[in-house]
Amino acid sequence: MPMGHTATAQAGSGGLTATEHRLANGLRVVLSEDHLTPVAAVCLWYDVGSRHEVKGRTGLAHLFEHLMFQGSGQVKGNGHFELVQGAGGSLNGTTSFERTNYFETMPTHQLELALWLEADRMGSLLAALDEESMENQRDVVKNERRQRYDNVPYGTAFERLTALAYPEGHPYHHTPIGSMADLDAATLEDARTFFRTYYAPNNAVLSVVGDIDPEQTLAWIEKYFGSIPSHDGKQPPRDGSLPPVMGGQLREEVREEVPARALMAAYRLPHDGTRECDAADLALTVLGGGESSRLHNRLVRRDRTAVAAGFGLLRLAGAPSLGWLDVKTSGGVEVAEIEAAVDEELARFAEEGPTPEEMERAQAQLEREWLDRLGTVSGRADELCRYAVLFGDPQLALTAVNRVLDVTAEEVKAAAQAQLRPDNRAVLVYEPVESAEEADTDTDAHEGADQ
Amino acid sequence: MQYHPRPTPGSARPWAFPAPERGSLPNGLTVLRCHRPGQQVVAVEIFIDAPLDAEPEGLDGVATIMSRALSEGTDKQSAEEFAAELERCGATLDAHADHPGVRVSLEVPASRLAKALGLVAEALRAPAFADSEIERLVRNRLDEIPHEQANPARRAAKQLSKELFPATARMSRPRLGTEKTIERIDTAAVRAFYDAHIRPSAATVVVVGDLTGIDLDALLAETLGDWSGNTVEPRPAPPITADDTGRVIIVDRPGAVQTQLLIGRIGADRHDSVWPAQVLGTYCLGGTLTSRLDRVLREEKGYTYGVRAFAQVLRSSAADSASGATGAAMLAISGSVDTESTGPALDDLWKVLRTLAAEGLTDSERETAVQNLVGVAPLKFETAASVASTLADQVEQHLPDDYQATLYARLAETGTVEATAAAVNAFPVDRLVTVLVGDASRIAEPVRALGIGEVSVVTG
Repeated sequence: MPMGHTATAQAGSGGLTATEHRLANGLRVVLSEDHLTPVAAVCLWYDVGSRHEVKGRTGLAHLFEHLMFQGSGQVKGNGHFELVQGAGGSLNGTTSFERTNYFETMPTHQLELALWLEADRMGSLLAALDEESMENQRDVVKNERRQRYDNVPYGTAFERLTALAYPEGHPYHHTPIGSMADLDAATLEDARTFFRTYYAPNNAVLSVVGDIDPEQTLAWIEKYFGSIPSHDGKQPPRDGSLPPVMGGQLREEVREEVPARALMAAYRLPHDGTRECDAADLALTVLGGGESSRLHNRLVRRDRTAVAAGFGLLRLAGAPSLGWLDVKTSGGVEVAEIEAAVDEELARFAEEGPTPEEMERAQAQLEREWLDRLGTVSGRADELCRYAVLFGDPQLALTAVNRVLDVTAEEVKAAAQAQLRPDNRAVLVYEPVESAEEADTDTDAHEGADQ
Repeated sequence: MQYHPRPTPGSARPWAFPAPERGSLPNGLTVLRCHRPGQQVVAVEIFIDAPLDAEPEGLDGVATIMSRALSEGTDKQSAEEFAAELERCGATLDAHADHPGVRVSLEVPASRLAKALGLVAEALRAPAFADSEIERLVRNRLDEIPHEQANPARRAAKQLSKELFPATARMSRPRLGTEKTIERIDTAAVRAFYDAHIRPSAATVVVVGDLTGIDLDALLAETLGDWSGNTVEPRPAPPITADDTGRVIIVDRPGAVQTQLLIGRIGADRHDSVWPAQVLGTYCLGGTLTSRLDRVLREEKGYTYGVRAFAQVLRSSAADSASGATGAAMLAISGSVDTESTGPALDDLWKVLRTLAAEGLTDSERETAVQNLVGVAPLKFETAASVASTLADQVEQHLPDDYQATLYARLAETGTVEATAAAVNAFPVDRLVTVLVGDASRIAEPVRALGIGEVSVVTG
């Protein structure tokens, strides 16, 4: 994906509205007005992600996302980037397991340009796609993989844990970045087929949020996207459902050059969009979100065995979500000691459930995160697309925070009892090693190497 | 599909960077406030004039440990209780120390601003600095160092500072201290730094967000108004000097699949009239994917995921301040390239710089850059946090409150010739210090062959 930043921000979810429309070719459109700032966000979600990839072609959805910035019927080379930035806009695209999204945030008076650009590539990408951009972006993506995963300590942890948590052959077994071998193997014809299969108006949701005139905006959308033909070549993704618990602990130990031992784990949790997933989110927040969480208090403050300890949630709609544990050990502490403490805390929590104060804190934290996400036009546009694509109803984005606040302590306790258990996790342990080469150079390690 | 001609823009709705209202409390605390309708998460930034230069000799990192200790308990509650109360507000609080001073940043929903601001005031007025918490923070900081050391970008930044600045300058050493200096920090040292520097008369609070229905004067009086302390003369800031003799330092990482590049020197800060031209020129060189560097290194050659050129103010003071104008910015180019392409990528990078010096920027490049830099302002400052942070930066850098607002007009007035001159002066090909974190056995020879300066290899 082209480099860039996505804004995070704030403002109320209260009082927001969204309207829904559908063009004759199947393109779903969501509009939301907000005139506080003279900006408008355009967000386009295609219902395709790494879960749609087939064996031997991992990473294709993401590589393809890069190709979407290499020109289309009426846009030359890097024109998409040049035109948006030259109009005072910002833009990017990202690929995940379940979708690929493209977004432009524009000064209001340049909104029409962003719509024209998105329509041009949806309707005519193949007119510009050639071997040269394919080869170039293959190299760029391989360097992205090196920079973000292969050349940083613990960089491949996500990939390893995902591969453990979802069995071989499962659509979520591999991550969106893909393998080097598969990136090398992808052909121009693969990319063309991918576009023809998935980049159709009836496989996408377009949202426009901000300082807009809805009638005018809809007219532009009809003008630019209306003539793009729909097609139905897409096969449904392979089934991602799995039993509610793993039924046994999976484990991998990695011996690598890392700065400290680490204990990471992925717990199998309910699908996104369910009340149980929100309950699990609150459980993980009480246990490992922020500086007043149980794991932080136990491992970082009291036992002082960890540098950092926390839980995160990877929400997934088409497969079980993952609860993400990450603990980096302090000094020479052994992983076994950390693991025993984590298990003890999780067992205690499952037994007691959260205290009223813990519930209040966790809900306040998640509420602020939602205010942040819905507080910028780009964040709101992305959430509207998310709920439209994954759950069929964009309106759910505007009420999501209420559902989190509605969850009870009993439900949080039940979520922990059901799934935050040792027999429902994949564990990844890092054990540091000195590389052979590094050992060789130990003799002159003092030279110019002020730590 | 049916093609349509590219649309032309409508007329722009005017937008201006918000003007803050300035005031002060009886205890000497300066207050900047800014009402931003709709921004329900309020951002509070507090800047305290406690520069890293003020750290006692041999105690690098004491400002960092002190900043972190502010939120680890007060005269009224323990560290755990304090963290719990803050999170009950749905707030996030961050405190860190950098060359200009200490920054405390709070974000909280407007409905709970009063309570959260009370907690922050308590932390500033009466931090506990309990021995056991200080010991824990010291150990925790020591544990972080190997992680930073292992991160190629962090490692490169550390090396570049060491290369550029004289060993006696605080700027040559890691902001957060080294193992040697952190180990020596105890409660007494933290308390002494706090007593000497943390006081309302040396601080400014910036409050930005939807303040509808909030009596901010009353709220500030009840919270930060309670904080007291004497007045001291601001510490003069020593001038910043750097050795930018062109050279290459390889930090050896045997087996690394990529080389991290950081190429830099120091240059003009915002007090210098060249700043807008330098912003424009730097953007044209390496501000985005379609700038000159990525056009070649990424989009033509595929050597990298992206290379950026930037200017980052290190410390800045006004001409009429105690020490006069002594500020500087770090001017740098950074990114990573695959190991094999290290030599060719640097060769191309230098070619881009030489071409820029020989031929200059084009009018259309300058035009696109202005359109972007000026046009993105309303997007960039949509949130309260981004506005608060820029206002606090202005305070920290001794700039007038309308600096950012007037910068846009100055950018629009800057011509191609000025932007070219500024970019060429910022990145002269023979005055750049290049740090490469990568596999020396594979990259040293190709880099030597380029003739971009003497090449040395360090480990660690």
